[in-house]
Amino acid sequence: MPIVFGMNHRSAPLAVRERVAFPGEEVGAAAARLRGLTGVEEAVLLSTCNRTELIVTASAADAGGILARFLERERPIALDELERHCYLHRGPEAVRHVFRLTSSLDSMVVGEAQILGQVKEAYAAAGRAGSLGPVLDALFRRAFSAAKKVRTETGIARNPVSIACAAVSLARDIFGDLDDNSVLVVGAGKMARLAAQQLKSEGVRAVAVANRSFQHADELARELGGRAVPFDRLFEEMERADIVIASTAAPHRVIGREDALRVSRARRGRPIFFIDIAVPRDVDPAVHEIDNVYLYDLDDLQGVVKANMDGRLHEVQSAEAIIEREVAAFLAWRKSLEVTPTIVELRQRLHEIALAELERFHSRLGELTPDQAEAVRLLAVSLVNKLLHQPTVALKRAAALNGGGLRVELIREIFGMDTRHPEGDAAPVQGDRDETVAAPVAGHAESAPSRRQDER
Amino acid sequence: MDTSLVLLRTALALYALGFVSAFLPLLTRLKTGRLTPFLALAGWIAHTAALWALGIGLQRCPLGTLPEILSALSWSAVLIYLVVFWRYRLEVLHVVILPLVLVVQVVSGLVPEELIPVAAPLRPSLLRFHLTVIIFAVAALFITFAASLAYVLLDRALKARRPVRLYPKLPSLERCDEVGRVSLLWAFPLLTLGILTGAVATASINHTFWTWQAKETLAVIAWAILAVVIVLRLGWGWRGRNPALLTIVAFCAVLLRMLGVY
Repeated sequence: MPIVFGMNHRSAPLAVRERVAFPGEEVGAAAARLRGLTGVEEAVLLSTCNRTELIVTASAADAGGILARFLERERPIALDELERHCYLHRGPEAVRHVFRLTSSLDSMVVGEAQILGQVKEAYAAAGRAGSLGPVLDALFRRAFSAAKKVRTETGIARNPVSIACAAVSLARDIFGDLDDNSVLVVGAGKMARLAAQQLKSEGVRAVAVANRSFQHADELARELGGRAVPFDRLFEEMERADIVIASTAAPHRVIGREDALRVSRARRGRPIFFIDIAVPRDVDPAVHEIDNVYLYDLDDLQGVVKANMDGRLHEVQSAEAIIEREVAAFLAWRKSLEVTPTIVELRQRLHEIALAELERFHSRLGELTPDQAEAVRLLAVSLVNKLLHQPTVALKRAAALNGGGLRVELIREIFGMDTRHPEGDAAPVQGDRDETVAAPVAGHAESAPSRRQDER
Repeated sequence: MDTSLVLLRTALALYALGFVSAFLPLLTRLKTGRLTPFLALAGWIAHTAALWALGIGLQRCPLGTLPEILSALSWSAVLIYLVVFWRYRLEVLHVVILPLVLVVQVVSGLVPEELIPVAAPLRPSLLRFHLTVIIFAVAALFITFAASLAYVLLDRALKARRPVRLYPKLPSLERCDEVGRVSLLWAFPLLTLGILTGAVATASINHTFWTWQAKETLAVIAWAILAVVIVLRLGWGWRGRNPALLTIVAFCAVLLRMLGVY
């Protein structure tokens, strides 16, 4: 079963996380080195700014220790620090962890889209480095489809949760697709630049910049591909602008209610959207009361973001339910693999008995023509196959059952196989193992219920 | 008569399905919204066939009784809704227009089937013209109403600084305003023409130009409100919430008049 060892933004501070992080181009090679350790069978290494995780399947009992020592060797970090900040998940817990993290339920901003891409990259890097095996391959494929389900079936990623995105989304609510609208930036500070860039990338038609220092306005305007306007022509300019980003360093109001009213009248009621991201504020709050004028300041935008966040958290429950279903499906699939060795052994054993008995009765049967001999052999083989049918079905059914292990034990005892149930972790999936058993009945028409189809 | 009734029931069932498909996404995670216009289109085709069959069965234009008029009204409302939907992609129309159409259709099954009295031999053609014009005017007003309603909802949410996250996603304020304006510009002249021809038709029956009946009064009040909205919109560039609110009031008056409930 999969094992996850690692740290994230909750278990470790940035100062620790940054030391453990692997640069993107090293991830594949590191995964290959991890896979090369004795006891490790498959490995994927995921490293982002918020987390570093080693996802492996291992036969070694002390997998946690092996993984911790690996990190200690690879990165400038001590074992005791790793012990403090890392978590270790095994089996179902590990599966759940991978599913949740891929679906961005484990992210700092729940529902963000980046993590899925990052996990896909880690998976691809492991694939290229050859450190991927059947179990992790299946685990990640299922994690991707679970993530897709979560995104499409819940509202977890629906509404913007950053100030800039919230402002853009409000502008869209007012103006539609923005390509016919223009922006006026008042002030030339960093915040103003960021907000204007965001709007520009959303496709607004024109950008104008007004600032007390015309030189600064000119610089910013050039950077944004817009034009600078003299500060004393601010309100004339506003009549043409649909979105006004106010972000001056002025200690007093720059845009009063009367100004906005005049502007709105001159615009003949076409809506105008003020985004006031200055502290202290540039725009008189009373401006919002004017018809067709909308004003959002930092707190208002913050409020929108918070409402969206709450909405996302509300959706987390349904997302978790989807994850639980997917985890259960994965575990059931794994379990169905675990009975395979027993089925194989059972078939082998009964066929051996049949052949041995045939051998024993050979003398008693006297001289037989080759045809007769073949008929007797067929009789024995087909008898065994018929007898095998029901136990095989029962075993497969037991695989999907909780506590099916008991049933498997019982069947093993009935047929006199040694009752140590082969554990799933000991790599039961090897295809070559059942090839040997297929031999006695190979090419036989009466060949009993399929052995191999159900395994994948 | 039988064929037309079957077809009409089919149309009604399809409209109802469209209505359900538009509202299911509000309550569940099902994404049936994209089926709505197609169901409505199928319903409309059945409706067209039903009106046709009715006309052939009755050997006259199927605008003789109030139920027939209401049926024709919902037929043209769906037609205009489909055209506007494919032109502007306003999903909000689904949830406003289809319920209205269903209400009108159901009411048309409840009201008495009295033939509207026709006096002078020349008048039926005038009456038919009056009804056709009025029906299309009201159908266009359905769209105006939907756009105005969406505008008011979105404006309220923006002013309250509480973003609306509704299904269907509301169109932008600008889009609502534009659709409201354009559809009103179509509806208003038709409504004017309809009221005038109606008055002339009434005069020919009752020999008075104007009776102070509630239904005429309602129609004229609605017309006056819409006239004010149009003049202010065109002349003063008036826009936004207030014209939207006034339009909603006028529409309610028109609808009451059409349904014959006073």
